[in-house]
Amino acid sequence: MTFNSALFDPIQVCLDIEPALQTQAWQQSQSFATPSSQWNAYLNQLCLDTVLPWLQDAYERQATPAPSATALPGFWELVNGSAIAVNRTRLVLIPTEAIDVDEIRVPQEWVDIPDWIADYYLAVQVNPDDRWVRINGFTTHWQLKQRPVDWSDRTYPINESDLTADLNALWVARQLHPEATTRARVPAVSPLPLAQAQTLLQRLGDPSVLVPRLAIPVEQWRSLIAHGGWRQRLSDQRRGLPEQQSPLQWLQAGISNLSQQSGWTRLEFQPGLAVARGEATETTPVLAKELTIANHSYELRISAVDRTSNIWRFELQQSGGTIPAGIILRLLTEDLQPFAGNEDTANAPVEQLYIEVSLAPGEGLVWEIEPTPDHYDQEILRF
Amino acid sequence: MRPRQDLIEIFSTFLQLEADRFDRWAIEPKLRRSMQQCLAQTAQTNVSENFWALYWHKIWQTQDNLLNLAKEHLLAYVQESCYWAAQKTAAGFASNQSSLADCFQMAIAQIDKVLKGFDSQQGFNFKNYASATFNSLIRELLRQRQEIDICTDWALLRKISQKRLTESLVSAGLASETIASYILAWSCFKTLYVPMQASGTRQLSKPDRQTWEAIAHLYNSERYTQLSSSGTAVQPESLDKWLLACAKAARAYLYPSQVSINAPRPGQETGEFLDNLPETVQTSLLADMIAEEEASTRQTQRSQLTAVLINALKQLDEQSQTLLALYYQDGLTQQQMAERLAVKQYTVSRRLTKAREALLLTLAKWSEETLHRTATADLLKHTSTALEEWLKTHYSHPDLQSPDIPQMEPPS
Repeated sequence: MTFNSALFDPIQVCLDIEPALQTQAWQQSQSFATPSSQWNAYLNQLCLDTVLPWLQDAYERQATPAPSATALPGFWELVNGSAIAVNRTRLVLIPTEAIDVDEIRVPQEWVDIPDWIADYYLAVQVNPDDRWVRINGFTTHWQLKQRPVDWSDRTYPINESDLTADLNALWVARQLHPEATTRARVPAVSPLPLAQAQTLLQRLGDPSVLVPRLAIPVEQWRSLIAHGGWRQRLSDQRRGLPEQQSPLQWLQAGISNLSQQSGWTRLEFQPGLAVARGEATETTPVLAKELTIANHSYELRISAVDRTSNIWRFELQQSGGTIPAGIILRLLTEDLQPFAGNEDTANAPVEQLYIEVSLAPGEGLVWEIEPTPDHYDQEILRF
Repeated sequence: MRPRQDLIEIFSTFLQLEADRFDRWAIEPKLRRSMQQCLAQTAQTNVSENFWALYWHKIWQTQDNLLNLAKEHLLAYVQESCYWAAQKTAAGFASNQSSLADCFQMAIAQIDKVLKGFDSQQGFNFKNYASATFNSLIRELLRQRQEIDICTDWALLRKISQKRLTESLVSAGLASETIASYILAWSCFKTLYVPMQASGTRQLSKPDRQTWEAIAHLYNSERYTQLSSSGTAVQPESLDKWLLACAKAARAYLYPSQVSINAPRPGQETGEFLDNLPETVQTSLLADMIAEEEASTRQTQRSQLTAVLINALKQLDEQSQTLLALYYQDGLTQQQMAERLAVKQYTVSRRLTKAREALLLTLAKWSEETLHRTATADLLKHTSTALEEWLKTHYSHPDLQSPDIPQMEPPS
């Protein structure tokens, strides 16, 4: 059964959900930790997989899940909503199963965490029984911020009458005035000390805490979850997944599934110097990830300099070219603090940027690059 | 239905239905007097009904003390629009228990949506805008009823917004403390009880004992932080009762018991018409002149706009033009169009969207150049609704697109 489009406002976009997609979304949702996160993942997957191809087709080929299709499910364990990046514009889809859409409640995270903020928020009604989704309308970050938070569930509620029903209005406004203000300012996230984060991760990682986002004070939650690595860790822990980000294990036993999906591969390299000398040496395994920075392809490489003393080398190269001036490769501690010798800057075009670090066993590192690569999401690598 | 003839009648009478059929027009004497005074002031007989609609809309927007009077006049004015919308939509979906009178009443009660949504600057006709809004309100109402009717109480509870539930409970006459407890109970229910299958979620059955206990447990720990007075611990049995009361209230909210048509008539009890009438005359003096001034440019704008849109339609590729005609002229649903053109519904939706986007872009540019109004997403919201109504009128009565022909929908 499909929807009866005569009963819908013609201005709003209504789309059939493909049956195969529904089956797949349901199966994937079963790996989530609690009944409500399973259901949340299911609705979000249905919504994203139906709306995204349509957006790509109708408006922008470049529309992609943000930060990436691999990372999004990690959000759904904790919060409702799916982000989409369209070039430099961000959209957040907020699915709801309500029959009425008198209001839509946007979780505070999507509005108050700087890296999560979108320009536009789309209310999407999902009907899994009749297999359709309907885009009820959209609003901007700026408009949402004019309203108070409902602290009972930490959301920004917005009435349907305050949404713009016609999605075309969004694209036309962007075409005519790409510089128009869509976002309001939000305060920066205060950093969370490592020890505190670890305690919180342990406590909230237990799925018997039904709604982790409401279980701790809002500022703590915001700081914890704004960290991409901790967000992923919390989600994994609740779903009973092991710590996935250990380069040493990747070198020894292969790369975990999720990390493979997020772009890490294992390569065998002959050290350049040895090849030049014509020496027969063993190859060195290297972990590599393709990145796109300002429309150019780069490769981030990690290799062990000395496994016994836990010394590692991070390298950034541009595929078939030099790295232009201004690019910075940087390493931070797990709680995002800098340390001595943690960055390498291209002051002039260079062959590569690299940093070598000596680490305590089990220590975590977060890498970042300026300018930020497409689909970047903070990840903690555990050494 | 007997169409109303003169301006005074159009802005001062209300539709009376008898057993779902038109019965008569009932005069509201105060409105009649107000209109008589206004007309006496203009001393012009050829002022159109749309002019008066725009005039009252402007009063509604700008004169706080006359807000209710203006609203009453506009409420009288849109009676036919709402009637035809109700008739057309109710007839198409006779399957459920929604009578014409019922649809009419539900829609007319939401007159505020018409008043708030209409933007007189866009150069569109007020009545057309009202028709479009009533049509979509009634469609949406019927869709919701259709769906709620086949939901179990437990499914319904999962498929209602918090705002709707709160309003339902308020309308059921519950005290605010009780409502807060019910809403918390409902939120705990939603956290713990979800469908166990991918579809058929409308048949959701009653939670089992274990789930009830978990819900009670969650409620009893949350009540300390979530309720202003935490009350006593509740047992699963009470929660069961509360939630069923929520479901009942939500259903009742969509099927309110029949009250007299045009019942919500704010301002009527306050005696404000009598008190304000002399002032009306004064205020209207100036406003009349301004509005008149605007109306003449508005007519030029409207014919320009029609020319711009007709031209933009011609620029569309043939396929888009066919789609628009199938949709607005032949009234096909997207599924029917998909079938006829042997493509997916998704493709029809995309192409229709693209065609409308092109028209909206043209209109937005025109509005920026001619009216000097920056096309913000907020402004485009009105433009888009108005465009939709223009398309409907264009395809159903191309002859009616000249500026000042009265836009009565034909009695069927």
